[in-house]
Amino acid sequence: MQFGIFTVGDVTTDPTTGRTPTEHERIKATVAIALKAEEVGLDVFATGEHHNPPFVPSSPTTLLGHIAARTERLILSTSTTLITTNDPVKIAEDYAVLQHLADGRVDLMMGRGNTGPVYPWFGQDIRQGIPLAIENYALLHRLWREDVVDWEGTFRSPLQGFTATPRPLDGIPPFVWHGSIRSPEIAEQAAYYGDGFFHNNIFWPQEHTRRMVELYRKRYAHYGHGTPEQAIVGLGGQVFMRRNSQDAVREFRPYFDNAPVYGHGPSLEDFTEQTPLTVGSPQQVIERTLGFREAVGDYQRQLFLMDHAGLPLKTVLEQLDILGEEVVPVLRKEFENLRPADVPATAPLHPALTDTAPEAS
Amino acid sequence: MSRTPVRVVAVSAGLSSPSSTRLLADRLAEAVTKAAAAPVEVRVVELRDLAVDIAKHLVTGFPPPALRTALDAVTGADGLIAVTPVFTASYSGLFKSFFDLVDPDALTGMPVLIGATGGTARHSLVLEHALRPLFAYLRAVTVPTAVYAASEDWGAAGGRSGDGGLAERITRAGGELAALVAGRPVAAARSGKEDGEGDLDGSRARGAERDLEADLVPFEQQLARLGG
Repeated sequence: MQFGIFTVGDVTTDPTTGRTPTEHERIKATVAIALKAEEVGLDVFATGEHHNPPFVPSSPTTLLGHIAARTERLILSTSTTLITTNDPVKIAEDYAVLQHLADGRVDLMMGRGNTGPVYPWFGQDIRQGIPLAIENYALLHRLWREDVVDWEGTFRSPLQGFTATPRPLDGIPPFVWHGSIRSPEIAEQAAYYGDGFFHNNIFWPQEHTRRMVELYRKRYAHYGHGTPEQAIVGLGGQVFMRRNSQDAVREFRPYFDNAPVYGHGPSLEDFTEQTPLTVGSPQQVIERTLGFREAVGDYQRQLFLMDHAGLPLKTVLEQLDILGEEVVPVLRKEFENLRPADVPATAPLHPALTDTAPEAS
Repeated sequence: MSRTPVRVVAVSAGLSSPSSTRLLADRLAEAVTKAAAAPVEVRVVELRDLAVDIAKHLVTGFPPPALRTALDAVTGADGLIAVTPVFTASYSGLFKSFFDLVDPDALTGMPVLIGATGGTARHSLVLEHALRPLFAYLRAVTVPTAVYAASEDWGAAGGRSGDGGLAERITRAGGELAALVAGRPVAAARSGKEDGEGDLDGSRARGAERDLEADLVPFEQQLARLGG
């Protein structure tokens, strides 16, 4: 199983000090967080893509390319790449270059984006969100697999005799996840291609996550990629830890209460009960995360959101130390013991990363 | 002979206890029960009890368990009674917020009886300029008689046929809803509803959970629709 972190890249005022980092500080902090992730033994760093304040990651491959140069093992990914408003040709090119520079340590997660104005800013119509995701990805999928593409669609100018360069590393495209919270169409899309399905469940009750993953698994088998249990599933998570769980609650509460998205809403206690948010001891995080498996079956990737809501860099780095030292080693062992032999341990890796064949093709 | 009961849900947005809005909702439910040929199972959803959950859903995008149960009851009903007090010349904010959380397609074709209460009869057209358009947007079918109860109505003599009083209006409206409900297959037999594609901002409703697989459009069809 792969463990990692995903960042939204928000610039948020620390509610305990009133201090807001600059964009420059936030970008540099993001790099420090990614380097820390590798240092503490995590497998994946993924960045969101946003095109409006208060977010800084508008250019994911620039960020990931920089991190690639400063790391050795970390898989670089996205959470998510906007398949609706980016030109699929540019995605094919940008991520192929990144894949070469990172020697294959790249995969990416497609998403539609949920900020209405981004669509018109990039010349698209939000009401076409699903058709855009379907058509653009169909083109991207071909651009990475066919050397010369003739193509005509609804949303983009046609291509005649087009070759996306560079070709993927050793002719093998980056593995693709499709992220969606509530659109069955996207689970279906992931299943059709035999791609991964990531359910960012951090704001969602578990029952909903279970149903979406179950649908994806069934359809993955329907399209002949393997058994439902062999489908490639990823989940989100959100944790804050201190050795003593009361300390964790006390320290995290002001960040929770003022957080973007759910702040000034439900209580910390209600939210931890109804969503995967876990605020407590490392042991509580271990138990909660193992519980995800009960809901969705054996899965391949667990990403935690660690650096939002104005948490200072120092705190985030401490959290990553705890995650890497006390939580992930236990989870690795437990998940591995529970996993049946015919279920892939991870999402497919680029052959450049492994001496043996990838566990799922 | 015994028949499958039809499910009627009465949503009451009254805030006080006891409340005249709840009283009107109960009277309307009773009128539907009396008029219906089949047995009627009435369930009352008191929005006052869900006020905090409604606010939480608005900010988090998902319903706490009790609200989820209420939303499922509303969208899974065979007929709906919706009653609000008149606040500042319209339905109450709580009433609107609750229906903001119902999936926009989940009430398509739903028979709805609308009612409102107020201090004076001067606001009775709220039913026509606020409630009826709300349910028209949701593509629900509102019965022709909407029932407004002013404070004075509760003390008026009435109940005799032809006097146009509150009791007569309640009876007529209840009969209309019962007739519409009787004309539809019961909820259990109806298919699930699709949610609004392209409604991506995450702040809208996701009340009733759907049967994901039953609603699924196979991927080849999704591709073919693009015509590319």
